Amino acid sequence: MYDIRLENVTKKFGDFTAVDDITFTIPKSSVTVLLGPSGCGKTTLMRMVAGLETPTSGKVFFGEHEVTNVPTKRRNIGMVFQYPVIYRGTSVRKNLELPLLSEKLSKAELDKRIDEVAEILDLTSVLKRQVEELDNGTRQKIAVGREVARQPRIILFDEPITNIDLTSKLELKRSMKELFGRLQQTIVYVTHDQTEAMTLADQIALMQDGVITQSDSPKEIYEKPNSQFAGWFLGNPGMNFVPPEFIKVSGSKITSPLFTQTIDLGSKASSVDTFGVRAEGISVTSSQAKDGVQARVTRKSIGAGGQYLLDLAVGSLLIKARVSHSIGRDAKDSVWTNIASENITFFDKAGKAL
Amino acid sequence: MAKSVETLEKSIKDVPKAKKPESKKNWFSWGLLAPVLFFFILMSVLPTIWMFGLAFYDYTLTSANKPKLIGFRNFFDFLANQQLAGSVSRTFVFLLCAVVIQTFLGILIGVLFWKNDKMPGRRLALTLFFTPMVVTPIATSLFWKFILDPTLGVMNYLVSVLGFERFDTLTDQTLAFPTLVFVDTWMWTPFMTLMTLAALGSVPKAELEAAQVDRLPLTRLITTVIWPHAKFILGLGILLRTIDAFKTMDLAYVMTGGGPGDRTELIAVSLYRFAFKSFKLGYSSAVSVFLMFIAIALTAIYLYILNARKKAEQ
Repeated sequence: MYDIRLENVTKKFGDFTAVDDITFTIPKSSVTVLLGPSGCGKTTLMRMVAGLETPTSGKVFFGEHEVTNVPTKRRNIGMVFQYPVIYRGTSVRKNLELPLLSEKLSKAELDKRIDEVAEILDLTSVLKRQVEELDNGTRQKIAVGREVARQPRIILFDEPITNIDLTSKLELKRSMKELFGRLQQTIVYVTHDQTEAMTLADQIALMQDGVITQSDSPKEIYEKPNSQFAGWFLGNPGMNFVPPEFIKVSGSKITSPLFTQTIDLGSKASSVDTFGVRAEGISVTSSQAKDGVQARVTRKSIGAGGQYLLDLAVGSLLIKARVSHSIGRDAKDSVWTNIASENITFFDKAGKAL
Repeated sequence: MAKSVETLEKSIKDVPKAKKPESKKNWFSWGLLAPVLFFFILMSVLPTIWMFGLAFYDYTLTSANKPKLIGFRNFFDFLANQQLAGSVSRTFVFLLCAVVIQTFLGILIGVLFWKNDKMPGRRLALTLFFTPMVVTPIATSLFWKFILDPTLGVMNYLVSVLGFERFDTLTDQTLAFPTLVFVDTWMWTPFMTLMTLAALGSVPKAELEAAQVDRLPLTRLITTVIWPHAKFILGLGILLRTIDAFKTMDLAYVMTGGGPGDRTELIAVSLYRFAFKSFKLGYSSAVSVFLMFIAIALTAIYLYILNARKKAEQ
């Protein structure tokens, strides 16, 4: 298998720079998710890996081979598009078979691969059907199966579950998770949906304005965002940010009415501007706690798993806290809240984590 | 249980629908349509009805006799007319040659333009290439007549410079008809190119890209990706071209006047002669009605084929 190396890759469309001087390695035999909001350049980056776009400058390598100007046909990649692509006028089996024909496999091997993929994707019962008869969800499964059955060294997924209905979305996500576990290929997956990214990724490359701002495992990137953007974009709800007026810096020590204790940040303390905390990093109690401040509950909603999401107002500060079922259920208009030091990430004026 | 479901269904059905001010809305849309409808009825529907009526009369402008209702006599007359039968079959040969050649060339050129979408000067080339289609057919006919003129024309000048003998294609027994097909092709191939480009444009980009990724061979690319999307627009193009070729009049009338002999006498030329040279309005109306039915039949066949394909797909 190959890793994919990008060296100073830039892509401009007229005056617009979609991808801005990215140097990055996508490790082999793992799932890398390019995550970011619309227009951040993630799809363009993937299309350059596929050879469907040519970089304005920079180089793309598959392992040791430079492929910057190699046409798509000769890159030996698979790609699943946002729009479910099917080859019309044929059966589902034929669709899965078409890309395999250029591989010159034995009949037995061909059938084995198709049957295997069909089983994982739950397509066995529709193998004989005409593709036009099927809904978008099934069509996308066919597209996934087609790319996987061919066993190319690199498989690219461009927001594959964005355009299909909810049930198929969940089904397909589950099948892909299973497939990704079995596959040895280098997989690149583009999405703007952080839940999808968290579910499927071995590592996430977070993109903003044409650059990769952070790349790490889902856990790392969630727990240790290196920028306010990363903190805000990952997580539902995104990270809470507490502005400077709630923070007091004296020498290397930082205090806040919300903190359970004083935090010593050493030399970095002077550049602290804001701090961030995840919704689940905020503790809430109904009765007065030792440290902490009183907060008003402005909104209360129950979420998946019975946890509650509380909108809290501490003076002029609005934050969201995720709390256990019992605390949420018992929370009245007024609660007590504080934040433990391990749940806090400090940011400087530019929004970079300290 | 069943009953409660029933009542539930009923209550869903009985939910009062939001009322739109139907009448107001209707007036507005009719108001917008009115100018078009007015001209359509005045210029198209009424004359057609008029023509249907005239077909049953003996009505000649040059005769002093009053129009006389003669039933189907006009129809019997022209069905018995050998010359007219000749024009009809000649028209079909013309139509077949022209449409086949133009479709073939149009697709070929369209694919070339489509494949080379980054070629410098592509836009200019396209614009120039489409010019024949937008020039009035009469003008086209006239200048081709000049080009081909045996004494004054550019073509014969070149022929004589090269040392060959000048010749007159338009009065030549064997060359006149192919020349007409040639000029028609010059004029209408751009249309088929345009339709080809539109048809190819209707193929989703992702499917074409997927075909590249999946390394589909060209034949597969055409049969499973391009054709399923392109066939409707291309079919429509062929249909429009067929109907139009069937009505070709100006080209033949200006360039050859139907000659030499009746070699290029297309049905529309004969019709023109009956109506505006002999002023036999009744008779020519009958011929027109007949032609209209042929055109409708052609359209129906095409639509049937297109629909059958669509149904098969569903």
